[in-house]
Amino acid sequence: MKIAYSHLVQYILENPSIEQISNSLFQLGHEHEIDNGIFDMEFTPNRGDCLSLEGLLRDLRVFYTINRKDDTYQEDISHLSMDFENLSKNACPQISFLKLEIDKLPLSYSGGLKDYFADLSLKRNNFFTDVSNYLSYEMGQPTHCYDAEKINSRLTFQEIEGDYEFESLLGKKVFLKEKNAVFLQNNEVINLAGVMGGMGTACTDKTKSVIVECAFFNPESIIGKSVKYDIQSEAAHKFERGVDPECHDKVLRRFIKIVGNHSVIKNLSLVTHNYKSNPRHQILIDVKKINKIIGVDINKEDYINYLLKLGFDVEEKFINIPSHRSDVRTQNDLAEEIARVIGYDNIPVSELKIPKNTSQNRNVIENKIRSFLLDKGFYEVINSPFVNVSAKNCIKVDNPLDSNREYLRTNITKSLLDNLLFNERRQKDSVKLFEISDIYSSDNGIKKDRRLAVIASGRVGLNYQDFSSKVSKKYLLNLFKEGFPEQSFNFIVLPRDELDTKIKSEILSLETDIENFSDSILKYNAKSKPPNDFIQYKAISELPSSFKDISYSIKNYSKVDELQDLILNFKHLILKNVFIFDYFKNEKQSEIKIGFRFVFQSNDQTLTTAQIENVLNDIIERSLKLSGIEIPGLK
Amino acid sequence: MSVDKDISLPELIKDRGSLHPINHMKDSIMNLLISFGFEIVDGPEIETEEFNFDMLNIKKSHPARQMHDTFYVENKSNLLRTHTSPVQIRGMLEKKPPLAFISGGKVYRKDDDATHLPMFHQVEGIYVDENVSFAQLKDLIYKIIYSLFGEDVELRFRPSYFPFTEPSAEVDILSKEGKWLEILGCGLVNPVVLENCNIDSNKYSGLAFGLGIERIAMLKHGVTDIREFYKSNLDFLSQFK
Repeated sequence: MKIAYSHLVQYILENPSIEQISNSLFQLGHEHEIDNGIFDMEFTPNRGDCLSLEGLLRDLRVFYTINRKDDTYQEDISHLSMDFENLSKNACPQISFLKLEIDKLPLSYSGGLKDYFADLSLKRNNFFTDVSNYLSYEMGQPTHCYDAEKINSRLTFQEIEGDYEFESLLGKKVFLKEKNAVFLQNNEVINLAGVMGGMGTACTDKTKSVIVECAFFNPESIIGKSVKYDIQSEAAHKFERGVDPECHDKVLRRFIKIVGNHSVIKNLSLVTHNYKSNPRHQILIDVKKINKIIGVDINKEDYINYLLKLGFDVEEKFINIPSHRSDVRTQNDLAEEIARVIGYDNIPVSELKIPKNTSQNRNVIENKIRSFLLDKGFYEVINSPFVNVSAKNCIKVDNPLDSNREYLRTNITKSLLDNLLFNERRQKDSVKLFEISDIYSSDNGIKKDRRLAVIASGRVGLNYQDFSSKVSKKYLLNLFKEGFPEQSFNFIVLPRDELDTKIKSEILSLETDIENFSDSILKYNAKSKPPNDFIQYKAISELPSSFKDISYSIKNYSKVDELQDLILNFKHLILKNVFIFDYFKNEKQSEIKIGFRFVFQSNDQTLTTAQIENVLNDIIERSLKLSGIEIPGLK
Repeated sequence: MSVDKDISLPELIKDRGSLHPINHMKDSIMNLLISFGFEIVDGPEIETEEFNFDMLNIKKSHPARQMHDTFYVENKSNLLRTHTSPVQIRGMLEKKPPLAFISGGKVYRKDDDATHLPMFHQVEGIYVDENVSFAQLKDLIYKIIYSLFGEDVELRFRPSYFPFTEPSAEVDILSKEGKWLEILGCGLVNPVVLENCNIDSNKYSGLAFGLGIERIAMLKHGVTDIREFYKSNLDFLSQFK
């Protein structure tokens, strides 16, 4: 909700700056941003009472002297005889109707009404709707204006069930389904209660006679309707959070006053229906309890003062809760009020000592499996459980985000296969991934399995020992034997026939329950350790990479180290990776051949041959300065 | 006896994999909390409305319970947990105070954009004992934040609202760019929740807190788009080792 600084400060005697008010609002828990003198407020859902100028000033009274007096119509108002029936009193326990006719429509606005539209850059609609919108801003209570000439038969409020069509006053056709609280005339929905009125009975720029509806709707009857029918509605936002059920008389008298400030009122009548009285809420004064909850030591006088400033009343041993504070019912609620006034940051810290926990970490086997796989060059991934394909015993999501995410996966392997193909498309020729996750199925109730899945394809590794070897069943069985000598594993070859890929390497996968792993893995001595520091991520490139190989001939064996150091530590912006992919020692000729692979990629452009060759030439030039090193065939 | 290095042989550099950065962050935070005395409890990702909402004082009219915020499954008989708090409810029903639990894992909300995903991770903790106060909660939060971001970090507590805590707070840290960033939510356990778990709220009180792992990981690693974590791109994953 947007509230102008100038609208607030005009009622604050101390004339605080926008920054001072901003700090006060943060202390009170009212998050906001400031844009050009306007507070864009984000209130917590329990503070519907703050969704207005008046509501916010009530809270700011804690810090400032607020000089704002009610300016309402004070004369008696005649009774409105209106054919209205409430068939769902629980959904609407209080409702008032004000009928008002004016002499002439005003040509311009004055006072707060004028400032509201000017300062918040709002578009005017028609006079009565404009007054209604302003009043909602000023006092927090939404009202709805019907053109009185269009309400010509019985008006009924009812929670209806079934399919109905409704055209909102913005001209949007809405198809109501299931249960909705509405106003009906001649069995037609003319107002989706608490959300938006209808086109058929809306005021226009010619309306001079209006019926203003001012109601309290049970939030449960309103909740979710504006989202469900995609209707942006500030009224719904307020009703969902709860409005003051006892404000109707004041609000409607303020409505009359504003209208009277702009035109001559010819006729005026009012009817109020109170189907259910509002209970009074009181909380026992217990300063000791409040101090215990917060961990402070305030005295009773301060306690009372704080609450009085927030608009609470004191009656003997009790705190009376005002009707607009539906969020305050317990000692803990009062403690929060006191803590807000003190300021959370001003509450002293008290040391917390929790007795030492002696229980064992439950995930010890799982963590060892992880460490083993990391040592063997596997990368851990996490996939979303939502899939588009139904499977036996799979769980269906009742309200999926879209049809591609309608079911919960019943296996991890398919997700890993997608991950593998994703990386292959990005020129990765060695892909080794794993995921550990809960998998749910519906089999006589919800069944949960904790599973490990592994997938691998392509080169065994990017080093001279593994570069030429391809991942195979034999390779994986040997690998797993090292970590799990007593267990057997069933690696499966996934066919590539139906996959959208030209790569031929075998894809091997494994999926098994974690409970199948024995304690023997605990003996595995993990080499990999997670990094101690949190690594700063560098943006990755979606542009194609290129690789170049250089093969060196070395006669002087002692230069192997030097060459390796030089090349593996060579840095350049476009050089993404370098590794030794080939090594051969020819004892007879006393010659070593070492092949380096250089992978180039830019974050912002597709690289040209010339750009790559520039870097390569630099590397070559530096390396050939080492004695006893040649690049065979180099021209 | 020492073995001489073969100078003709280059170093064999075997590629090591990496933990997923989200799991690494989750483990780091949970290990920190274990060192404070907390015990890990686990619970299912598919929950009932009773444990996910009712027991936590989240009323039927709360927006979080709507179909547009929560994923329901199996004809609305169950749901995908929207937070890890139901695990703590299960823990409180099982054990008597004093108790100190943490739970971490995947949670689900019906959101999907550059800053929100339908699946994300949380770590939550609860401590219930006699005379637990907001001042003690602040002590714990300072310890957590200082451990994660260093003792130079500036932080602030803001009043907030969670149905399961009262008073409730959100905690922000000041970024290097001078912007306040929300880090975690916390509060004193609402006595209604304690009573729901058969814990005498006149005798015991509790504190609770929850952190979004992705948010912390994004800050610590400098990742700006949450979706990067879940593309399974080796260029991304290989940076975190």
